[in-house]
Amino acid sequence: MTDETHSRSLQKFLRHRPALLSLSIILLYGATAAVLIFSSVMTMEHTLEPVAAFNLPGFSRQCMPEKRLRDVERSFRRIEVALRRRNPIEQLKSVTAGSLVLASHDPAYLQSRLDQVDGIIDRLYGYEDLDQIVQDSAQDASAILDQLNELESVATELFTLAEGRTEAGRRFRLLLGTDKQGRSILLRAIWSVRVAILVGFVTGMVSVVFGTALGLVAGYFGGWIDHAVNWLYSTFASIPNIVLLIVLSFAFDGGEFDDLLNRWTGNFARKIIGVPVQETLIPVFIAFCATYWIGPCRVIRGEALKLRELEYVQAAQVLGYGRIRILLRHMLPNVAHLMLINFSLLFIGAIKSEVILSYLGLGVKKGPSWGIMIKQSGQEVINGFYWQIGAATVFMLVLVLAFNILSDAVQDILDPRHVG
Amino acid sequence: MWTYFLRRLLYNVPVFIGILLLVMVALRVRDPVYAYLGKNASADTIEAKREEFGLTRPFILATPMESQFGSFVVQVFTLDFSDDSWDHPGETVGDILGRCIGPSLALSIPALVLTTVISVIISVVAASFRGRLIDQSLVIAAVIGMSVSFLVYIIFGQYWGAYLLPEITGYKPFAINGYTHPSETTWWEYITYHWPHHCLLPVLISVIVAMGYDTRFYRAVMVEESGRDYITTARAKGASQIQVMFGHMLKNAMIPIITRVVITIPFLIMGSFLLETYFTIPGMGRQLILAVEHADFPVVQAFTAVLAAIYILANLLTDVLYALVDPRVRLS
Amino acid sequence: MFVSDLLESKKDCCLVESDSATVERHSLSGWELFLMPLRLTWTAIALAAAVLVTSGCIDDSRTASQRSTGGKKDGAAATSEKLARFPMASDGPKSLDPVRGSTVYENRCASPVLETLLQYKYLIRPFKLEPLLLEDMPTVSNDGVTYTFHLKKGVYFHDDPCFPDGKGREMVAADVLYSWKRMADESKSKVAWLFEDTILGFNQYRDSQRHAETFDLDADMQGLKIVNDHEFTVTLAQPTSRFLWTLAMFQTSVIPREAVDGYGSRFGLHPVGTGPFTLKEQDWRKGQSITFRRNPNYHECFYPEEHMPEDIPEGFQKAAGQQLPFLDAVEITFEPKSEPMWLNFKNGKYDFTTVPADNFDEAFNRRTKKLRPEMKAERIRGYPVPLLDFMFKGFNMEDPVLGGYTEKKKKLRQALCLAMDWDEVNDVFYNGINIVYDGPIPPGLKGHPESGQVDVSYRGLNLEQAKKLLAEAGYPNGEGLPFLEYYTGRVANSQEQTEMLQQHLSRINVQLHVHLLDFSTLIQAVDNKKAQFFSFAWGSDYPDAENNLALFYGPNEAPKPNHFNYKNSEYDKLYQQIFSMQPSDERTAVMETMRDIVLEDCPYGGSMARTRFYLVRPRLKNFKPIETFENWFKYIDIDPAAE
Repeated sequence: MTDETHSRSLQKFLRHRPALLSLSIILLYGATAAVLIFSSVMTMEHTLEPVAAFNLPGFSRQCMPEKRLRDVERSFRRIEVALRRRNPIEQLKSVTAGSLVLASHDPAYLQSRLDQVDGIIDRLYGYEDLDQIVQDSAQDASAILDQLNELESVATELFTLAEGRTEAGRRFRLLLGTDKQGRSILLRAIWSVRVAILVGFVTGMVSVVFGTALGLVAGYFGGWIDHAVNWLYSTFASIPNIVLLIVLSFAFDGGEFDDLLNRWTGNFARKIIGVPVQETLIPVFIAFCATYWIGPCRVIRGEALKLRELEYVQAAQVLGYGRIRILLRHMLPNVAHLMLINFSLLFIGAIKSEVILSYLGLGVKKGPSWGIMIKQSGQEVINGFYWQIGAATVFMLVLVLAFNILSDAVQDILDPRHVG
Repeated sequence: MWTYFLRRLLYNVPVFIGILLLVMVALRVRDPVYAYLGKNASADTIEAKREEFGLTRPFILATPMESQFGSFVVQVFTLDFSDDSWDHPGETVGDILGRCIGPSLALSIPALVLTTVISVIISVVAASFRGRLIDQSLVIAAVIGMSVSFLVYIIFGQYWGAYLLPEITGYKPFAINGYTHPSETTWWEYITYHWPHHCLLPVLISVIVAMGYDTRFYRAVMVEESGRDYITTARAKGASQIQVMFGHMLKNAMIPIITRVVITIPFLIMGSFLLETYFTIPGMGRQLILAVEHADFPVVQAFTAVLAAIYILANLLTDVLYALVDPRVRLS
Repeated sequence: MFVSDLLESKKDCCLVESDSATVERHSLSGWELFLMPLRLTWTAIALAAAVLVTSGCIDDSRTASQRSTGGKKDGAAATSEKLARFPMASDGPKSLDPVRGSTVYENRCASPVLETLLQYKYLIRPFKLEPLLLEDMPTVSNDGVTYTFHLKKGVYFHDDPCFPDGKGREMVAADVLYSWKRMADESKSKVAWLFEDTILGFNQYRDSQRHAETFDLDADMQGLKIVNDHEFTVTLAQPTSRFLWTLAMFQTSVIPREAVDGYGSRFGLHPVGTGPFTLKEQDWRKGQSITFRRNPNYHECFYPEEHMPEDIPEGFQKAAGQQLPFLDAVEITFEPKSEPMWLNFKNGKYDFTTVPADNFDEAFNRRTKKLRPEMKAERIRGYPVPLLDFMFKGFNMEDPVLGGYTEKKKKLRQALCLAMDWDEVNDVFYNGINIVYDGPIPPGLKGHPESGQVDVSYRGLNLEQAKKLLAEAGYPNGEGLPFLEYYTGRVANSQEQTEMLQQHLSRINVQLHVHLLDFSTLIQAVDNKKAQFFSFAWGSDYPDAENNLALFYGPNEAPKPNHFNYKNSEYDKLYQQIFSMQPSDERTAVMETMRDIVLEDCPYGGSMARTRFYLVRPRLKNFKPIETFENWFKYIDIDPAAE
């Protein structure tokens, strides 16, 4: 493409508002991922810490009375258990309620407060089903809620923020609620951005580069190279995607591959990566790239076949330019737009496949990802708790949507005949 | 024409063998015997088990009947499905294959038909109103639909079908698991009760998921078609929009449509394994995944061979269709 | 299909050069366009809606008998047939051949069809044995090694085509010996360990035939002697306390050789025995359901008279003295996922169910553990069933880092144990209904400590002590300790539980590398002694603590059940003692000593026993939920009027 077409395309792009919006969203996600990868503002450990009681709804919504009672009772019970052990003061230091710790470690004081609330708890236990009663009878409702409020205020007194934590930080974490283990859904969703961008980016890059290389070579040179690439391509393409992903993921499980790798490279791999291979995202990368390189290869090869016949390529051949030079300088730029489009398609495909793999337990092994969040929220949905699945879905939806819109726009702009 | 077909067929034979090789190697990275030993296995028992499974034979470098790879290839080409499954003692691979194909087809064929019909209709509408509100909203709906994970659809679909719907309406039309074979009941009952009860919900979910992709694709094809001269001519001659849409556009767009449908055939049998797993429908996809998990090599190898064969044949069919349509392809 | 979009970009091949003719937009009445092409769709939707409405009106709970007769009603037989419908939380058993059986699912599906010499008394707790295929309990010689069995007369095998004329013949002593000898054929049997080192001559019998072409089931075994058709003796290598318990395990069921010879490898799909129910091959729909039908020739067997006081309010004693079985058929549906099983129970498809941990709230008030009013309104009853369960996180004692018997190594393991908070795991993942206890002996068995606590125990949570011990072990604040390799199976919420464990251990600065494996690979890693730190559970095979204590017996090291590879000669001597002793206070005292030894050495961190909650519909009678034995189908009755 000439420079003029370049600038015209660029102009068209800048005028395409949805595309700009999508691009900025993608860049935002990318920047988040970069921050997470390269700095330690938030580490995986942050996402794994319990912050508060389990399955709290987001935006500081109130829970039902039964749940409130259960949550506040659990904190009291922890204190109780510690007081009954052999060395209470030591044990009390280990008592936590999410990210809160005990304000005082004085057993006598704590025991007196507990005795105080025991009466209230006993009274509440007298009711069969608090949720039902609060709905049915307004009179009882106000009595119950008052007592709950009192319990909760005692709990707030007894517990305080741990060292180095702020109230603002805690509220931020509780913005989208907590999951089944009391961890912050918001933090998990944000960390999943890192995983998604990594998986999508690496898969997209490697698959597109590899597929393009093979496709160009096959299309341009033809002959036995073309046959070989076609054989390789057809083999991988004829195994159902899922089967290939699962079989490859299984091959990595269990550590044999890790052992093998370390033996060949003399533990070099272990030193670089630091953990066994199957704990990183490397098996996911390998499985995805092995499945997805096919797409770009096929398209680029078709394109290369067409380009080969173009006049200026033939002219270059006649002029005696080296074959590599022709490939890189003449053919590659012409397939660049296809590479870009395939990259974005693969990016999306990888993110969505990661969700499926993680559901099966084969994808991301350590730390949260959207797939893991959705998997772990399956049961919560039946109990009416939508925050975890909602957060994961929305975060993923926005990114995938942005990519879809962007790739559509790029296709529209670069390929005038394209119907979006 | 036939030479073309034969050429393509022969070309795919090494591909097929390549697939078998890939799968067999990938499986044997791990030792499957441990899943099948009892509580107190001794080294002797382990070795005896390996022998029983035929894993002590050389992989390739032996006569076809002796090597693992060779004997399997021979089995596949002679359509010999009599290997015993390791995970299901007493059943052969053929038995398992036989009972799994039915449910997969019961899910996949209706899904394919419904998706195609609905997507085509929607895309025709969208294409004729190109640029207008309805087109834009359909496209937006399709793109949003494509951006939500399959899993989420399944989770909510199950919740809605098995929980919300009965609560709201009092009817329990959808079962969220299980399956009844047509052989166990009359055909009429199967079609009017058992199939909708067990399969309609997964099929609907499958349709919703696939609709986004298909609608956009068909719409693109339709729009291409609608820009052609003969359409303008037809309109100039006074044909109504409907006649134009269905009489002309649709007919000529049938080729890419059919091609796409044919390409989707392999995914037919695979039957969207997720649906089968979540809805516990005993189809091929689910059985295959279970077999991989339980390291049941004969089943995994046989199923993959069958699926790959179907895929290759479907691709072959597509190539033949192209060749029929576009003579240039035949001659290349 | 979700990635088909990427692979099928053949559309570029279909796009032929189009002219620059523009598309003229025609303004049309929207309605016209909507109705016409969508007419097809509307019709389809209307049809579908009609189907759904009609199907919703059809009763959901169709019986198996109606289904298998193609929906045609068999008149009185079908409508008054007593059919119980049960769920099973798995994909179904793999094989009902007793010597291949290992899981509880195989147990439950084999027990209606096959019978053992002894059975558990249905209603008596703690568990006691009584004769089933015997006239009376076996007598034992003075030296405690020779048992004499008197077989019950008039017990016939099922009518089955494998017998001449299809009529089952009477069971004789030779059948018992045949069934037990089959257990020694390791090419088929997984259960040789039950009689290994127990019956005199069993080991020789098994070893001599190991590489034989065909296993000779007629060869003599030294310890088994037939006296006559209904009497035989068994001589043990030494007095063995667990011998009689093993005779109640379904792996020792009595089967006829005609069935094995007749069906060969398909015997597992077509079991034939003396049980109260029969199984036809077509009644087992793989991956879906299995249906058992009443055996009309079942030998005389009566509902027990003995019961416990707590059975009276439930009415379990009412059927005393009546002949078994009561049911005409039992249909078990396989439900590998818990949510659908739960929803199906609520929809009335099953007569009982176990309550999945995540749905506990819907059935019980989590706080009071009492049944919810909605459940009580349907007259559903709830039963907690504590399991003989030992969940633990084990250490490989042969590992260079974690294993060893020096003070420092012990302190390291004790520190790890003190950092694990089993109470929190119980709270979060099991609604607090499990029982956390000290020692390897589960609640309900002799040797289980009072209120579950032992002073010697190093069970968490005690972070201060943990940090102190860790420092004394040579790793102050976790420095110098390499990452621990943790192996666990990929089931249900194991990933989440692993995350919690990582959370706990990170509080004392210990890090893990997690290996989340499928079950067979996990077993392999443990059997190969490769797993350094692993998560496992052991369900007792019979209600005697010796079964759990065997897990620490030196000679049982991997690949046998001593996954810890724990070797302590003092412990081993004590084990050999209790292996031969009959239950007594002395024996219990020895077991407690053994328990304390193990707690001090800390080859594992634990323990927890699961409690399963059962919900039972009013029409199911005589069902006292239990998981220690599985042959209770014959006691169950249906009262359709109770619904």
